[in-house]
Amino acid sequence: MSNTITINGETVTIESDESMPLLWYLRDTLSMKGTKFGCGRGLCGACTVHVDGRAVRSCLTPVSSAFGKSVTTIEGLSEDGSHPLQLAWLKHNVPQCGYCQAGQIMAAADFLSQNPSPTAEEIDSAMSGNICRCGTYVRIRKAVADAADQMEKADG
Amino acid sequence: MDKLMLTKIDRRTFLRNTAAAAGTLSAGGLFLGLGNTATAKADSAFSPNAFLHIAPNGDTTLWCGRCEMGQGISTSLPSAVADELEADWSRVTILQGDADEKYGPQATGGSRSINTMLEPMRQAGAAGREMLVAAAAATWGVPAAECEAKNHFVYHKESDKRLGYGELAATAAEQPVPETPRLKSRDEFRYIGKSLPRHDQGAVVVGERVYGSDVVVPGMKYGAVMHVPVLGGSVKSVDSSGLGDLADRVQVVTIDRLERPYGSLGAVGVVADNTWIAQQALNRLKFEWDRGPHAVYNTDSYKAELVESVEAPGTSVSERGDVDAALESAAVSHAATYVGGHLSHSPMEPMASCVDVGDEHCEVWASTQDPAGIQETLAAFLGREKDDITVHVMAAGGAFGRKFMCDYVHEAAALSQAAGAPVQLTWSREEDTRTGYYHPCNAQHIAGSIDSDGNVSGWLHRAAFPTIASLFDPTNTGPGEREMGDIIRQPLAIANFRAEVGEASAHTRIGWWRAVYNIFFGFAINVFVDELSRKADKDPVEVFRKMYSDYRGEGEENARRALAVLNKAADMGGWGREVPDGHGLGIAVHYSFSSFTAMMVHVEVDGDDIKVHRVDCAVDCGLVLTPDIATAQMEGAVIMGIGLALNTEIRFEDGAVVNSNFHDYPVARIGNTPTEINVEFIGQENTSTGLGEPGVPTFAPALINAIYDASGKRYRSLPIRGSA
Repeated sequence: MSNTITINGETVTIESDESMPLLWYLRDTLSMKGTKFGCGRGLCGACTVHVDGRAVRSCLTPVSSAFGKSVTTIEGLSEDGSHPLQLAWLKHNVPQCGYCQAGQIMAAADFLSQNPSPTAEEIDSAMSGNICRCGTYVRIRKAVADAADQMEKADG
Repeated sequence: MDKLMLTKIDRRTFLRNTAAAAGTLSAGGLFLGLGNTATAKADSAFSPNAFLHIAPNGDTTLWCGRCEMGQGISTSLPSAVADELEADWSRVTILQGDADEKYGPQATGGSRSINTMLEPMRQAGAAGREMLVAAAAATWGVPAAECEAKNHFVYHKESDKRLGYGELAATAAEQPVPETPRLKSRDEFRYIGKSLPRHDQGAVVVGERVYGSDVVVPGMKYGAVMHVPVLGGSVKSVDSSGLGDLADRVQVVTIDRLERPYGSLGAVGVVADNTWIAQQALNRLKFEWDRGPHAVYNTDSYKAELVESVEAPGTSVSERGDVDAALESAAVSHAATYVGGHLSHSPMEPMASCVDVGDEHCEVWASTQDPAGIQETLAAFLGREKDDITVHVMAAGGAFGRKFMCDYVHEAAALSQAAGAPVQLTWSREEDTRTGYYHPCNAQHIAGSIDSDGNVSGWLHRAAFPTIASLFDPTNTGPGEREMGDIIRQPLAIANFRAEVGEASAHTRIGWWRAVYNIFFGFAINVFVDELSRKADKDPVEVFRKMYSDYRGEGEENARRALAVLNKAADMGGWGREVPDGHGLGIAVHYSFSSFTAMMVHVEVDGDDIKVHRVDCAVDCGLVLTPDIATAQMEGAVIMGIGLALNTEIRFEDGAVVNSNFHDYPVARIGNTPTEINVEFIGQENTSTGLGEPGVPTFAPALINAIYDASGKRYRSLPIRGSA
C-alpha cells in the first residue's frame, strides 16, 4: 500500500508532491493526456477518473488519497475501446471537439455500474456535473441510455 | 470582420501553388503518435497537390488545411477530396496541415471554411482522379475516355482490366496536372451528403486525440500565468518572497504586454516541471498592478450609458424612405430597447499551447483558429521572419472564435525563451474567464410601425456596442455602417428604414464570438417583430412572411430562402397548435454568414423554472456535405443559445472581470437541454455555405418569444438571470 497506486493495472510509486492532484500527476508526471483539465474546481467534470471504481474529480483528488487504490482512466476503461459506452458514443456520433468526452464517459461508466436501468431523469441528474460547451447533451443522453440497454442485453 | 473576409481564391493560382508544393508532403502533417502514412518514396508515390498523397500500397493521406475545433471540418473537407478522387474512405488517413500557404487560407472563422474551400477541395480531388485515369490509360494504351475511376481502382470499361490507385501512383505522378478537371455531378457523389462519422472520434473515446494542451516534446517544462487584470494595465512589482520551498523549483517570468491585437495583455508567468507546481508558485507570488486607464470600466453603468445612447438620436448609417413620417402616421407603432451582456467563449479546453523557441527557429504546437496569425505575432515578438516559425495545428478543445487570437501562444513563447526549453502553457479556468476577448455588451432600440394593410411600414434601428475594430484601433468609438451590415442586409420589405449608431468605446478586448454581432441583431429583430405583431393583433409569422414575400431588389433570392426556412420551422413545430397552460411557442428567423436558419421553440414556464421541451430548426446552408455533423452544429447552437439567453454574462467592476469559473459563469448543462431538437435542411440545391455560426442567433429570440407566449412576461435584456 504505502505510496503506490495502481493505474490501469500498472503499479506506480509516488516519490514526491503527494498533495498534487491526481489530474496533474496523470497528465504531467506520467504524460497520460487522456484525462483533461477543465476548471480545477470540480465544476465541469472533464477530469473524471475512477478510484476503486467510483467516479472522482481528479483535479480535486490529492494523489496521496489514492494510495493503495486502483485508478482507472479513459485509456484503461476497456482494452480496445469496446466498453458499451465507448461503442454507444461512436454509434450516436457524440463528440464534437471531444475534449470533455473522456470525463463524460467515465462519469457515465460509474453511473451505469450503480444504476443499470436508469430513467431519463436519472441520466440527466447523473451527468449534470459534466459540462460540454459544444452542446452534445442530446446525444450524450441517447448514448448513455443505449449503452444501458446494451449492457442489460449482454447480462441478460 | 475584415480579418475573416478571405478573398476568393483564383482557382488556377490555387492549383498551381498547391501542385508546386507537392514533394514536401511527407513533412506536412502532425498528429503526434498517430503516424504519417505519407512516408513512401516521393518517386513512387502520387501527390499532385498539397491535399492528397497516395502511397504505392494505395494508402491515401488527405490533409485538412482549415483548423478543427469540433465543427467537423477535418472530416467534411477531406471527404470532398475523397469523393472527387473516388478514393475508398477506409483507405484514407486524414492529417492536419501545419501553417503553410500551400493549403490556401487557413484562418478558420466567419463560418467560411465551406464557402471558401469546398470548390478547391473538389478540384484537388478531381485533378487527382483524372491523373490516375490518365495513368491507367497510358499503361493500357487506351483512350482515357474508356477508363473510369471507382473506389480506389481505375477500370477499363471495355475489358475486365483494373488497376489499383497504389499501382497507378508512380505513373499518375508523371501525368500533367489538369487545369480544369471535371467535377462530379451530384448524382455521382460517393461521400458528400452521406453523413460520414468524424474521422477521429474513435481516438476521442479512448482518450488518444491530441489537443494543444496535450503535446509532449523532449525536455519540455510546464507553465502557468496570471494576467494584468485590466486592459492597458501593467505589472508594477512581483514579490517572490513567499515562494518558500518552491523557490528553487520554479522560474518566475514577467511577460510584457505585446502591442499587437493578438498579443498578451501582460502577465506574470511561472515555469516548472509540472503545471501543479507552476500554479502553486503563482498563488504564492504577490503582485502589484498598475491598473491603467480602463480601471474605470463597470459594465452595469456602461450598459446604462449604452441604453441612454440608443434611446436618443444617433448617427445615421443607412436610410431609405422617411421613417419618421411612417412611424408618426402608422396605425400601430411600437418601440423597445434590448440589452445584452459580455460573453466569454469558455471552451472546455482553456487557452493552451506548447512553444519551443530555439536559437534560430521556433516551433509551436497550438489549439488555434489562425496559424498564420501565430506566425505573424511570434515573428514580431521574436524579431524573426514568419517562415522561421513552424506552427503545428493541434485539435482545439472548443474555440468558438477565442482561439483566433493567440495571446496564449505569445505567452508560451515568452516563457520558452526565458526558460531555454519548450514550455507547455495551459491557462487556468480563472484566467480563461477573466482575461479573454469578449463578445460585446450592447444596447439596441427599435421603433417600428405596421400600416393598415399589415405592412411593416417603418423601422428605426439604433445600436451601440464596442466593436472588434477596437482591437486594431483602440481609438475606435463604436459601430459604423460595416458593423450594422447584418441588420441592413436582412431581406425584409420595409419601405421606410433607418439604422443609427451610438458611441461605444471599448474598455476590454472585444473578440469574435460564435455568430458575433448577429447574436444580438437576431435577438432584437425577432423579439421586436413578435412585440409589434402582437400589438397590431397579428401573427408574427404572417408579418415575417409578408416582409419576405414583398421584398424586392438586391438579395431577393435571400428573402425567398429566409421565407422557406421560416415556413419549414413553423411547419415542423406546428405553429399555432394548442399548448397546455403555462406552455408557449415562439419563433425566430435570421440570415447570417450566407446561411438561413429558423427555429421554433416550445417552452414551459413555471415561476422561475423555464423548461425547453422542443426546438424545431430549419436550415438552408445549401448542399450539406456531412448532414449528421451539420445537425450537431445546430444542436450545439441551441445549447449555446440556452446559456446566453438564460444565464451567462461577463461583468466588469473597476476594469476587471468579476466572474471566475463555471459556478459564476454557468454555461448550459445537460439539465437545460431540450427534450427534443429536430433539425432539417432545405434548399440543398443551393451552393454550400457555412454553419458554424448561423444557428446561434435564432435560438434566444425564439425562446424569449415563447416565454412571452407562455407567461406574458417579456424579457428584453439577456441573460434573463444575472450570473455574477
